[in-house]
Amino acid sequence: MKKIRQCFGIVLWLIIVSLGCNPVQSVDRNNFKTCEQSSFCRRSRRVKPGQSPYQLHLNTLSVGSSSISAELVNYNNLAKFKFELSAIKEETFRMKISELSPIRPRYEVESALVSEPELDTLKIIEQTADHVTVQAGANEAKVFAAPFRVDLYSHGQLVISSNARGLLKFEHYRKKPEPKAEEGAGAAEEAEAAGEEDIEADPGAWEENFKSHHDTKPYGPAAVALDFSFVGAHHAYGIPEHADSFALKSTKNTDPYRLYNLDVFEYELWNPMALYGSVPFLIAHGPARTVGVLWLNAAETWVDILSSGDQTVVSSIVNFVSGSDPTPQVDAHFISETGIIDVFFNLGPRPLDVFRQYTKLTGTAPLPQYFAIAYHQSRWNYNDQDDVRMVESKFDEHDLPLDVMWLDIEHTDNKKYFTWDHLRFSQPTEMTQNLTAHGRKLVVIVDPHIKRDGSYFLHNDAESNGYYVKNKEGRDFEGWCWPGSSSYLDFLNPAVQDYYAQRYSLDNFKGSTEDTYIWNDMNEPSVFSGPEVTMHKDCVHHGGWEHREIHNIYALLNTKVTFNGLFRRSEGKLRPFILTRGHFAGSQRYAAVWTGDNAADWAHLRITVPMCLSLSVSGISFCGADVGGFFRSPDEELITRWYQAAAFQPFFRSHAHIDTKRREPWLFGEETLGVIREALRKRYSLLPLWYTLFREHELTGAPVMQPLWAQFPTETDTFAIDDEYLLGDRLLVHPVTEAEASSVTVYFPGPGQIWYDMDSYEAIHVSSKHSGGRTEQIPVNIRKVPVFQRGGTIVPKKERIRRAASLSLDDPFTLLVALDVNGTASGTVYIDDGRSYEYKQGKYLYLDLKFEGKTLTSRFIDKNSKFPTKAWLERVVIIGWPSAVSKARIESKGMGTNVLEASYNSAAHLLVVRKPAVSMAEEWTLSLL
Amino acid sequence: MLVIGRIGSFERMFYNAHLVFSSLVVLLQVSHASEILRPRGVSISKASFYVPERDFTCMDGSATVPFIYVNDDYCDCEDGSDEPGTPACPNGTFHCTNAGHKPLNIPSSRVNDGICDCCDTSDEYASQASCVNNCNELGRAARAEAQKLAELTKQGSELRIQLSKKGKQIRQEKQEKLNQLEKDLGEAERLKKEKEGLKIAAEDLEGSALKQYQQEEEERKQAQNEEEKRENEQEAFEYFHKLDSNQDGKLQLSELQVRQTFDSNRDGEVSDDEAKFLLNQQEEMSWEDFVISGWPRMKPLLMLDKGLFQGPDSTHTAKQEGDNNQEEKEHISEGKEEELDHSEDDEDEEEEEEEDDKLYEPHPEEEDPSAYEEDEEEGETANEAKGEVEEAASKYDEETQRLINEANQARSEFEEADRNVRDIQREIQQIKDTLLKDYGSEEEFAPLDGECFEFTDNEYIYKLCPFDQATQRSKSGGADTRLGSWSGWIGADDDKYRTMLFDGGQSCWNGPQRSTKVKLLCGTEHALKSVSEPNRCEYFFEFVTPAVCLQLDSGDKQDNIKDEL
Repeated sequence: MKKIRQCFGIVLWLIIVSLGCNPVQSVDRNNFKTCEQSSFCRRSRRVKPGQSPYQLHLNTLSVGSSSISAELVNYNNLAKFKFELSAIKEETFRMKISELSPIRPRYEVESALVSEPELDTLKIIEQTADHVTVQAGANEAKVFAAPFRVDLYSHGQLVISSNARGLLKFEHYRKKPEPKAEEGAGAAEEAEAAGEEDIEADPGAWEENFKSHHDTKPYGPAAVALDFSFVGAHHAYGIPEHADSFALKSTKNTDPYRLYNLDVFEYELWNPMALYGSVPFLIAHGPARTVGVLWLNAAETWVDILSSGDQTVVSSIVNFVSGSDPTPQVDAHFISETGIIDVFFNLGPRPLDVFRQYTKLTGTAPLPQYFAIAYHQSRWNYNDQDDVRMVESKFDEHDLPLDVMWLDIEHTDNKKYFTWDHLRFSQPTEMTQNLTAHGRKLVVIVDPHIKRDGSYFLHNDAESNGYYVKNKEGRDFEGWCWPGSSSYLDFLNPAVQDYYAQRYSLDNFKGSTEDTYIWNDMNEPSVFSGPEVTMHKDCVHHGGWEHREIHNIYALLNTKVTFNGLFRRSEGKLRPFILTRGHFAGSQRYAAVWTGDNAADWAHLRITVPMCLSLSVSGISFCGADVGGFFRSPDEELITRWYQAAAFQPFFRSHAHIDTKRREPWLFGEETLGVIREALRKRYSLLPLWYTLFREHELTGAPVMQPLWAQFPTETDTFAIDDEYLLGDRLLVHPVTEAEASSVTVYFPGPGQIWYDMDSYEAIHVSSKHSGGRTEQIPVNIRKVPVFQRGGTIVPKKERIRRAASLSLDDPFTLLVALDVNGTASGTVYIDDGRSYEYKQGKYLYLDLKFEGKTLTSRFIDKNSKFPTKAWLERVVIIGWPSAVSKARIESKGMGTNVLEASYNSAAHLLVVRKPAVSMAEEWTLSLL
Repeated sequence: MLVIGRIGSFERMFYNAHLVFSSLVVLLQVSHASEILRPRGVSISKASFYVPERDFTCMDGSATVPFIYVNDDYCDCEDGSDEPGTPACPNGTFHCTNAGHKPLNIPSSRVNDGICDCCDTSDEYASQASCVNNCNELGRAARAEAQKLAELTKQGSELRIQLSKKGKQIRQEKQEKLNQLEKDLGEAERLKKEKEGLKIAAEDLEGSALKQYQQEEEERKQAQNEEEKRENEQEAFEYFHKLDSNQDGKLQLSELQVRQTFDSNRDGEVSDDEAKFLLNQQEEMSWEDFVISGWPRMKPLLMLDKGLFQGPDSTHTAKQEGDNNQEEKEHISEGKEEELDHSEDDEDEEEEEEEDDKLYEPHPEEEDPSAYEEDEEEGETANEAKGEVEEAASKYDEETQRLINEANQARSEFEEADRNVRDIQREIQQIKDTLLKDYGSEEEFAPLDGECFEFTDNEYIYKLCPFDQATQRSKSGGADTRLGSWSGWIGADDDKYRTMLFDGGQSCWNGPQRSTKVKLLCGTEHALKSVSEPNRCEYFFEFVTPAVCLQLDSGDKQDNIKDEL
C-alpha cells in the first residue's frame, strides 16, 4: 500500500518554531519520547524472535592472526555486510558488523576507547559448512552461518549467544524512494520483496515529528539492533544512566531502558527513562560466570531486558543450549538509531575480571588529586566573592573540614563562560588566593553553549572560524539555553578541540589560577528549545556527521577537551579535576560524574546507591549525588542522613538550586551541625583508604564502590542488593535512607566472614555452615552511620582532621587491622604527593600490609618506587584480638628497634599499639610481645 | 635556668623553649614565677595542671600517663589535654600567647598545618610555613582600632543619651496629648449625641411629610400614565386605519410597501424584509396584534419621518423620563438611609482610611485612563440627577420643603460632630499604638520612628524606615517592593535591641514572602551601611546608629556581625 507523505506537519512546525522557543523546562514526562514514538525503536522492537534472515557466507571467510571476517547477507533484501570477529587481550572478543559498501559512510565511535585495543592471537579450531569455531586463550567463539549466530564460550562454558533470538537488524543506507502517487501497489510489492515492509509502512522512516519538532532524516532509516542471551546469568547490570534499581528489570511490560543523553527536569525515580549520560555497557552476572558487553554506539539506543521469569521464547534457547535444565538466563536486545554494530565481549569469568577487561578498553579514572576526594561545597549560586569568603570562613569557624568551593553559572558575566561578573566577582584571583591560602581550591562552571553576543570573544571566534555545530541548512545552529540565544561548539572539530583547550590557559582565562578547576554542565547538550531539551538530530558536525550519529559522545568530547586544557595549563604537572553531567563509555578518563538535578527527598537519597553502583560497574567510579538534593529544601534529618551517606560515596559535594534556602551545616540546629561535622570527619579520617582505592581503580579497573557480588560472586542473595555496597573489599556501607529510622536491615555477606562495626568494633560473625550471608537488624540513632570493616582487611586512616585534606599529607597514619577467623589480615596503602603526575615516574609508596600470628609487616609492592613522605605510623589498632598484650616491638632499618606500649580493651577485643612512630617510607615489622 | 631537653623520639614536641630567649616573656614569667615552664600550647590559667615532676592526669580524668607523654605528639587523653601543643588530638585546643597582641585559642588541628594562625607563629613550629611574628603590628592596629571604637562608642553613647532623652520626651508628649484627647473625646461624644437627637427628631418630621407627598405624587402619576396610554392607543387606531388602505381590518405587506416611511435602510424601496419586520414576521396583521407589536415598531419610523427626533438612540425618551422619576425617589431615600447608617459604618470607614494610608501603589483602576473617563461620566450623570432633584424639590409644597431643609441641616450638623469624634478616636489609637511600640529600654530608638534611611547598591535603592517597613526599588525606577513590615526585635536574649525583623513582605515568584533582618551597629550617625540577600528573599541590612552605643560594649559584638548567615 502506498502512503501519501504528510507535509502539513512541516508547515505547522515552521510556524511554531518561528514564534520562538520556550526556555521553561517542564516536569512533563510527555516531553520525552517513548519507544513507540521513536520510529527506529518501534521498528526494531517489532522484529519477532525466530529465524534470522541473516546468513554468513563462510566461503568468503578470511582468517588473520587475530581476526576472521566474512560477508553477511540479509536474505530478505540481499543487503551485504561485513562481519569481523577479533580476539583482544584480556579475554575479550570484538565483533563488528557494518555495510559492505554503504552509499554513505557509517559512523564509528571515536574517543570512547582508550586506544586501539591490543589484539590477541586467535586460531581456528573447527570449521564445517555450518559453522566455524575460533579460540583465543581460554575462550572460544562459535560462529554459525545460517541463521547467523555467534556463541561465546568461557572456559568451555557457553556464556553469551548473539542473535540467538534472531533480532539482528541492520538497515542499510538506501536512496529515498520517489513518492509514487498512482503506482502504490507496485511499490508495496517491491518493498515486500525486499523484506522491508516495516520501513515502507513506517511514516517515521524518512522524516519524523515529535511535539513541535521535525526531524528531516535526510539519510533515512539506518537502525542497527542485535540480541544477546546470557546463559547462566541471574541479572544484568549497568547501562547507566537511569534512576532505577541496580539490577536491571525486565522491560517486557515497560519501555526499554533508554540511552540518550538528556537534561531531564525533575527526573522521576524507578523507571527506564533516559538521563544525562549513556554508557552502553552491560554486565550479566550469575554465580558461575560474569560477562560484559560493550555496545559501542553513540546514537540513541534502547535496551530491552528479559529474564528467565518472563516466560518468553528465551526458554527455548536455554533448553537448546543446556538440555532440559532450567538454567537461568538474561536476554538483552540493543537497538540503536544509526552507526554500526561494534560489540566487545568481556568474558570474565569473575566480576573483577570484567571490570579489568572493560576498563582496559575504555580506560580507568586517573588518580584524582587528594582534594578532589574530600568535601566540596557548592550552591547555585554563592552571591559574590564576599559570600564565598564568608562561607569558607564559617567552615573554619565551625571546625568543619572543606577542600573546594564551587561557583555555578552566576559567577560569569551574563553566562559568558571564561568571564567573571564585573561587580560580584570583580576580584577572582584574590578570592581564589584566599581559598588556596587555606589549602583549598575553587571549581567554576564552564558549559558548552556559547552566548550569541557580538561583544563575546568566544562567540566571535567561534562564528568567524566556523566552530559551531551547524543546523540542517548548514548555518550555525542556534538554540536557547542559560544565556538566551546560544550556539554550540563542535567538539568533533580538531580545531575546536585545540581552541577550546587553549581557553583554559591562565593567559586566556583571566582570573583563573592553577587552583581553579572545572565543572562541565549542560553538555548532553541541553538545548531548552530543542526536541527533548537537546539538539536536533539533523544538525551537522565536523566531517559531515549528523548529530544523531554522535549525540551520546558530545559530553565525552567536551570533557576530553577540557581535560586537555587543564593538563596543558600546568604543562602536564598537575592532575586535572573536572565534573561532568553528560557522560559516555570512557568519560571516566576525564571527569567525575554526578547524578544531576535530584531532589530533596528520601527516595532521591535512597537512589544514590543504585545509580552510583550502576555507574561504578560501568567504569565510572568517581560518582556522587548532590548532597541534600538539588531541588527543594531538605529538613534537618534528611540533610543529616545525606551527609552521612555521601561521606561514604566517591564524589562528595553539597549543591542546591538557586530557589532553595541556604543549607550550609551551621544553619541547622547545634545537634545537626555536630552530626554533620562527625560525618565530614569520618570522610576525612578515611581519605587514605579512599585514595588507595582510587589508585587501585586506576591500576585494576576495580570500582571504588562495589556491589556485594563483586567480592561474593557466588552468593545469590547479594545479587539484587542495592541499599548497601562495599568500598573496595574492605568496608561494607549501609546508609540510612529512611526518615525516623531506628534500625536498618543489613545483609552481611560471606560464610565464615567477620564484620566489625566501625564505631563499636563489635564483631558480627557470618556462619560458615550456610552458603549465604547473615541478615541483621542494626539499631541506629541520628549519629549512626552503619559501616563495617571486613575481617581480614587492613584500613589506613588519619585521625587528625585538618581544615583541608591537602594539609594532611604529612600527618601520621593509623592502621585498623581487622582480623578474620584465622587471625590474619592484609591490606594496602598508597601514598604520593596528592597532586602531581610525579607518581607516574615512580614517586610514590605502595605498601603491602600483612598481619599474621603476632606480626604486622609493611613491604613495598613496587620496590623501585620511592616517595619521601614525612608521614609516620601513629597507631595500630588490632580489632578482634583475643587476649591482653602490653608490649610490642617495632623494627626498621632506619629506626632500629623500639619497644612500644600496647593497651587492650577486653570488652571490645581491641588492642591498640601506641606510637610505633616509624616512617611510612620504610619497610618495617611490628611484633606483639 | 632549667634546660629542657628533648623528650620522646620526635622533634615536634618541645616545651616553650623560646620563652627563655624572649626578654618580654621572661619579664612576664618573673611576674608569674610559678608558671615559668608551661608546655607548648598551654595558657597561663591552665599551666598549673602540667607539673613535670608528676604523672599527668587528663583534665577529664580519663587517664593518667607519664609526664613525658605530654606533648609527645600522641593523643592519650580523650579530652586532648595531654597534647596542648601538638595536632595529635582531634578535639584539642592550642593556646597562642601572641605577646604584643591578644592571646588566641585554636583547634589543635591547626597546629603545624602549614597555615599561620597565631601572630606569634607558635602554631607552626614544625611545618613548611614561613610565618612572621606580626603580633606587635597587629596589636598596635588592634589597640588603635579598639581605641577608635571606644572613642566612637563614647561619642555614640553621648548621642544615645540624647536620643533616649528625646525618646522619653516624645513618650511624655504623646502621653499628655493622649490625656488631652481623651478629655476632648468625652466632650465630642456628648455633642454628637445631642446632634443625633436633633437629627432624629427632624427626620421624623421630614419622613412623614415626604410620605404624604409621595403618596399624592403617586396618584397623580398614575392618572397621568393612564391618560398617556389612552392617547397612544388613539393615535395607533387612527394610523391603523390610515394604513389599512383596503379597509379589511388587517394590514398586509403590500399596504406597508407603498409607504416610503418604512424604508428603514433608505435604499429607495420598502423591501419584503422591512415590511415583514414591521408585521412581526407575519403576512398580515390584525388590529389587536398591531397595538402590541406593530405600532411600537412603526412609531419610531413615523416620528423619524416627521422629524420629531434625531436618531434611533432617542427612541426611549419616554421611558427615560419615567425612569428619572424613579431615580428621584431613590435618591432621596438612599441619601437618608446612608446618613442614618453612618454610626454603624464608622469603624469600617476608619479601617478603609487606614488601609489607604498603607497603600503605596495607586489603585489599579485609577491608572486605567478609560476607567477614569467612566468615572467622570458617572459624575456628570449624578450632577444632572441632582439638578433634577432640586428642580423636583421645587415642586414640594412649602411646608414639606421647610421640613426637608431642617432635616438636612440637622444631618449635616450631626455628621460634623460624628466626624470630630472619629478624628479624635483615630488620633488616640495612633498614639496608643505608638506608646505600645518597644523603643528600647530607655526609649533610645523612639526618635527613629518616622525616619527613613536609604542605601544604594549596583542595582537597587533600599529604604529602611524603622518601626515601619523596609523596601527596595530598582535604580531604573518602578514601584517599591516591600521587603517586610515592622515585626519586632529579635536579638539574642541578652542583646534584644541589636536586631530588627521586618517580615510579611511581598511574596517572591516561586518563593517565600520577603523578610529583612537589620543588624544595628554603633556609630555616631544614623545610616544604612550595607544590604545583602543571604537567602533568596531574605535580606540582611546593617544599620549604624548611636542608639546601640553603650560604653560597656566590648568590640566582640561587632565581630559577630554576620552570625546569622
